[in-house]
Amino acid sequence: MIFQRPAPKNIEENNEPEVNELSRQHVQDEVETVVGPSVTVEGDFASEGNIVVKGTVSGSVFTSKHLTVEMGAKIMANVRAGSATIAGEVKGNMKIKESLELVSTSRVVGDIDVKNLKIESGALLYGKITMPGIESGEKSVKTKLFKKTEDAGVQFAS
Amino acid sequence: MYVYIYDNFLRQKNFLSTIHSMEVVLTDYGIAGKILRLQNYTDSKAVIEDEIKRGAKTIVIVGNDATFGQILSRSATCDCTFGFLPVGPNNTIAEVLGIPVGIEACTVLSRRRKEFLDVGWMNNRYFVSQLRVMPAKLEVIYDERFKVTAADKMEVIVCNLQPFFWKKDKKDTEQRVVHPQDGKLEAFIRPLTKSSWWGYKYEEPSIFPFEEMIITGKEAFAVEADGKLSKEVKVKIKLAHSKVEMIVGRDRKF
Repeated sequence: MIFQRPAPKNIEENNEPEVNELSRQHVQDEVETVVGPSVTVEGDFASEGNIVVKGTVSGSVFTSKHLTVEMGAKIMANVRAGSATIAGEVKGNMKIKESLELVSTSRVVGDIDVKNLKIESGALLYGKITMPGIESGEKSVKTKLFKKTEDAGVQFAS
Repeated sequence: MYVYIYDNFLRQKNFLSTIHSMEVVLTDYGIAGKILRLQNYTDSKAVIEDEIKRGAKTIVIVGNDATFGQILSRSATCDCTFGFLPVGPNNTIAEVLGIPVGIEACTVLSRRRKEFLDVGWMNNRYFVSQLRVMPAKLEVIYDERFKVTAADKMEVIVCNLQPFFWKKDKKDTEQRVVHPQDGKLEAFIRPLTKSSWWGYKYEEPSIFPFEEMIITGKEAFAVEADGKLSKEVKVKIKLAHSKVEMIVGRDRKF
């Protein structure tokens, strides 16, 4: 008994958390593209990861992941993203694959094509909204200036 | 056959005991080899190529971040495996490579876990750790697709292996660390703004991962790559994939 080899299970148990920690660290360390407050980007701005815009972008913006436009930021471009949170100004058409959230300080001028939409009270929006799941007879809902909508969120029957 | 290249600062008395202990451990592991000392004007590429002709298979750099950058920036194209034994202060690259500082690095070296590392390329020379463009009025073009400018001067730091530490503001007690080496180079752009009469202040950095970048300026600007300073008007920076074969540790950041 004294000279018994240590059970291999212990070694496996010790190894597993290290693997999980490494993968977690890799996810945390995934670098996102950040456009700082006094930086201007012009051209076809694309990234494979998340994008955070605090400055000015003109041209076009593309990411398959999440786009965040912070308060004070300006995008004068067409936007394509997996999902987005807008707290700044966007002048251009937006095509979002999954969900779009317009925070109270957001100002959007342009058409929106999105699956899920959430608009906070105070958000300003001028453009056409297109969402999947609506019959061809009721394809799109034209919206004009929304000022201080009372309820948060826009829900459509699925 | 192993060849060890020691930096000049290791001659100081406070490092002698560490070096001696490391040499004993390396002998125990059976991986001791020829020792060469780096002088101020030594051409490391010529020295390494000479040793490769004599049969050296592994070149081990002994020193700190500056030693690592100085040797690898010139010798990235040499056909051999590189190892690293970090000794002393100013060792941030070792953590990225998963190599502990001091005697424990010998154990990592003996295990010979090899990885191919990407290397940065700038105007006909390589850089391994970090490239820094001093504050100037610059224009940066990424991947020939989009252009980045700032209102006034900006500083550009391109990281390959050496991580970039930055503080959000004076009250920020946590130093944010971004670890590169993910198949792309990371550029940190820090614009300077004149907030008060006594000078410029750094703003929060912008971060752009990229594979190719061109930096231009109306006037010549200073560029520092792996400790080597030069003045350029136009700088083209690219990523050279899997250029250097390196012995790394299990706790590496990639």
